[in-house]
Amino acid sequence: MTLSPELLLTVATERLRAARPDLPAAGLSGPRSLLAVKDEIRSAAGAAPAGQVSAVAVVQEADLPSWTRETCAFVLSLTPEQTDAWRRSFTRTLYLAGRPDNLRERFAFTHVAPDATAAWAAPAPDAATTGLRRLLRTYSGRRPLTAWHPTTVEVPGTGARAGTSAGRRPVHRDLYLATAQLTVADALVHLGHLLAESVIDGTIGPGDRLTLRSVPRLTALPAPYAALRVDTDQHHPDRLRAYAALTQEN
Amino acid sequence: MTLPDHRAGHRADPPAGRTAERPTVLLAPVTVTPAKPLTPSHLKGLLWTDVMFRATAPLADVTYRYSPTTYHLTEQTLGFWEFLDRTQGDLPYASLSEEEIGDLYVLFRKDTPPPAEALRPYAHEVERNGWVHPASERVLRLWTAHYGALGLHDPGLTRHQPPGLGTEEMVERLVTLGMGLDQRAGGGPVYLDATRYGLPLRQIMTADGQPNYLACALRELLPLAPAYDEVVLLHDPELAADYLLLQRVLGALGPRVHRVPVGRVPIDGRIRSARHGGWHDHTAGALLRALGTDGDPDVRRLGVRLYFIAGLGPGQAQSFRADLLHKSLDRAERLLRRADGHRLGGPQLHEELRRHRGAHTHVDPYRLTSSLLARSRRALGHDLLSTVYL
Repeated sequence: MTLSPELLLTVATERLRAARPDLPAAGLSGPRSLLAVKDEIRSAAGAAPAGQVSAVAVVQEADLPSWTRETCAFVLSLTPEQTDAWRRSFTRTLYLAGRPDNLRERFAFTHVAPDATAAWAAPAPDAATTGLRRLLRTYSGRRPLTAWHPTTVEVPGTGARAGTSAGRRPVHRDLYLATAQLTVADALVHLGHLLAESVIDGTIGPGDRLTLRSVPRLTALPAPYAALRVDTDQHHPDRLRAYAALTQEN
Repeated sequence: MTLPDHRAGHRADPPAGRTAERPTVLLAPVTVTPAKPLTPSHLKGLLWTDVMFRATAPLADVTYRYSPTTYHLTEQTLGFWEFLDRTQGDLPYASLSEEEIGDLYVLFRKDTPPPAEALRPYAHEVERNGWVHPASERVLRLWTAHYGALGLHDPGLTRHQPPGLGTEEMVERLVTLGMGLDQRAGGGPVYLDATRYGLPLRQIMTADGQPNYLACALRELLPLAPAYDEVVLLHDPELAADYLLLQRVLGALGPRVHRVPVGRVPIDGRIRSARHGGWHDHTAGALLRALGTDGDPDVRRLGVRLYFIAGLGPGQAQSFRADLLHKSLDRAERLLRRADGHRLGGPQLHEELRRHRGAHTHVDPYRLTSSLLARSRRALGHDLLSTVYL
């Protein structure tokens, strides 16, 4: 299916509505108005940060397949209260460079990857992670993404939210990432939002298999999508771009 | 004398003199970039290290490691060399003064920093061939002469002393120690990671491979430190955060690691970095010229040590004062007269030095030097002065 500018705008609008049903229901008229709404939300958050939460991801190594699997495991481990607040904050996540094995004695992470190459702290007001943020630096992965062979990962099968999708048999989906003009750090951000929101709404559940595929640009998909990550094009602020897509079950 | 590779550096005593109870000490002061004149702040650090080295040598096997080679790879040195070649061409460096070269360094510091790829040919030349730009070669030769005039032990200013580890080996060893975070695969930097001890992450290399001075220090000290009982890091107070990190890393390898911050010397109440210039009347050269060359070298050597160590102390509250420096020379003359003909002899000399060690193996230069001036002082041996100060 073709990912037209109109479709991208619809998807972006739906995401805003889903996260913040309290905002005026007026539809977005275009990419510029999306930017304006984002600015408004950001400045409102700055003025009254009450209710604003961020998750923190500590990244030692950015290996996309294992990072994808562990992100899902992290989100599955959150309580509905935590995911509700996070959703309202647009699943905002701070990416920090660090070695989880050096931090475990000081910080109680919500989830640590089995090989300790990444760790996550549950969504919380920024003040809760001040110590961690002072110790670490913003993750800087400026290498441009390059193509990879499709790799399949399986979402770990347990977690507090397993009950919500109980009864659904595990499915297999493709997870596309548009690599053109994207750095490793950008990839974590876009994949992070798509995975978090898909786990929260049950599109991704325990036992699901995801095949991670690279494509230069997402202008069309060979299958209908189950979720799309749409954001302002970094290099063309007057356009929207599809950065990642999750297909319906294969 | 022949030294095993892992102990490359300057030893006070041949290893043959080592016995089981004789501890080993590595002195590793921060080095001065050979791109500018030595200032009173630099002199203070050098005199402090020299007294520590010579006073500790009778009590322990001391290695004084000071390798300009190791630090040529920092951006400030490579960048200066690239700047000189790009903007100045072929200058008669061998006849320039350190002040003239320092003026060029100030110009370089005002210039836009060169991109990493412009420095690469220079870095390769240093790594592969031990190359030194003629401007820095000239500065190091002039410093060697100052060292001679002040009776400072020359730890090898103009000698090729490459670090024991290559960049990749260093990063690998740091990561294995659990204290390195290498994110170059994703286009990020390399960090020194002592977050386990509550110290913030510190970048030591950019994503495109340019190391900072901490990375250089690690290439040198990671392979050296395990062979010593004690490591002493002398540094400017401004570098305390970085040296705290270095202390943690080296301590993890076994030795006791001490940090000794040596305060800088303000000029007219201001502490200025040499990169901004403004040192013209206060360089080591100018200072030596003012002291004159016709006087007794022993008076000059003891006098500057009395002033820069006992006079100024470990802090940095007092500005440089030429009148007090001259007074110290007068005191030195009186001390030398009093010591004339007196010898403490080996055991008493060792005992005298040992009294000023505190809870470590190295001798504290401030305590020892201040004791020379104490009114209650009983005997003053000329052998103490000649061993440590002359």
